[in-house]
Amino acid sequence: MRITEHPILTFEKKAKLQFVFDGNEVYGYEGDTIASALHAMGVKKLSHSIHLKRPRGFYCAIGNCASCNMIVDEKPNVRTCVTLLKEGMVVKTQLNKGDLYD
Amino acid sequence: MKAKIVIIGAGISGAGIAYNLANKGMKDIVVFDASYLTSGATGRCGAGIRQQWSSKMNCILAKKSVDFFETAQEVLEYPRSVEFKQEGYLIVATTKEEDLQFTENVKLQQSLGIPARKCTKAEALEIVPHLNKDAFISATFCPTDGHLNPFTMTEAYYLAAKRMGVKFFFNEEVTEIVVNDNKIEKVITNKRTVETAMVVNAAGGHSKEIGDMAGIDIPVYSENHEILVTEPVEKIQGPMVISFSLNIYCQQVPHGSFIMGRSTADQVRGHDVGSTHEFLDEMAKTAVHILPPLGDLRVVRQWGGSYNNSPDRQPIISDCSELPGFYLACGFSGHGFMFAPMTGLLLSEMIMGEKTSIDIKELHMDRFKNSDFTTYERNVV
Repeated sequence: MRITEHPILTFEKKAKLQFVFDGNEVYGYEGDTIASALHAMGVKKLSHSIHLKRPRGFYCAIGNCASCNMIVDEKPNVRTCVTLLKEGMVVKTQLNKGDLYD
Repeated sequence: MKAKIVIIGAGISGAGIAYNLANKGMKDIVVFDASYLTSGATGRCGAGIRQQWSSKMNCILAKKSVDFFETAQEVLEYPRSVEFKQEGYLIVATTKEEDLQFTENVKLQQSLGIPARKCTKAEALEIVPHLNKDAFISATFCPTDGHLNPFTMTEAYYLAAKRMGVKFFFNEEVTEIVVNDNKIEKVITNKRTVETAMVVNAAGGHSKEIGDMAGIDIPVYSENHEILVTEPVEKIQGPMVISFSLNIYCQQVPHGSFIMGRSTADQVRGHDVGSTHEFLDEMAKTAVHILPPLGDLRVVRQWGGSYNNSPDRQPIISDCSELPGFYLACGFSGHGFMFAPMTGLLLSEMIMGEKTSIDIKELHMDRFKNSDFTTYERNVV
């Protein structure tokens, strides 16, 4: 969900950015972080706990907690909450601790 | 309160000595620590277990300690794993001198039954494929070296010692050792007075000060050595990678994090265990030079801990000629954790008046009275 109306602030409509999330063509808007674009789409599960693989979602939102780590353009452990969305990015859910190189 | 013996320091050495003494039947053993179990050098160490040394004594201590670590969990009846991972140490040579030295080292190590071997560059790259091939010329590898969890290992000793009646007092600092007529009479802490005739100094970074309390000048000093740890990733590196000339040791621990350390040039002597940005900077440069993929990792934490250095970088495991009943387990020069099983065994044998398992004249403090002690351990980061 996105805020469209607000008593004080205005939200101008920004350009759409296409990206790929787990194989699906999706879109966010310019100015989104990867995590905010996913959140707006209703994606709540961003990563998994290390041992029990339980779902982990949007948490600290400032790049500290590692709860939003995902694979972005083949790079593991990207903090998606502080990484700006770019046109054509390939974002994948990460299932392990991250492979240092593939 | 009365005690047969007071051990000062509840790191791996103190806990190991307490266990060994209790195991030999000694009663009324008391251990004091100014802080908590493993609060000093033990809990701050790089957690490496290495048998590849340049001095014969260190090789023997390390080899026999590894033999113990392999069975520690069963022997100490520890309910969890002590997390001993034996995937080796790869020591890289970057200069001709190092290469020659390592050839000599391996000869010595093999003669003592340590399964170390010399590796060509190609062989080393098979063991650790992400090494920078331009950063070294040859290597040595010992497959039974490895990584051991300092917290679980110390707790294993601690619990075993406690079961046999050893009393541990934490957050209790020894403030005075009362000596009269060349005899130890009392140990005074900030909470109580203990009558005892025997004291073991296993105080790690503070062992010099404990020596001073007993009027014994121990030729050791402490200096801060810093470490950092990265975020965890899937396993890519089995062995510890280490270089003396580049000044680095770096290992991926079972959890997936990389732990690495190096010594700082012109380090001021003392008890500071702080962290510096200079270390972070130099450590990162060195690590990325020798293991380039590590550059993609984030550092999550850094800390410091005390090396208690002896003049020849070999431990002091010794009684005291000047003061009967005063025993020393100090000066480990950064390697007290990996030698702990032998420290505990040898010191307990000495204290019980038994013949020690190996001849440890070379580890006596008196070796420094002659300025011509010949051995010097070169393989230290």
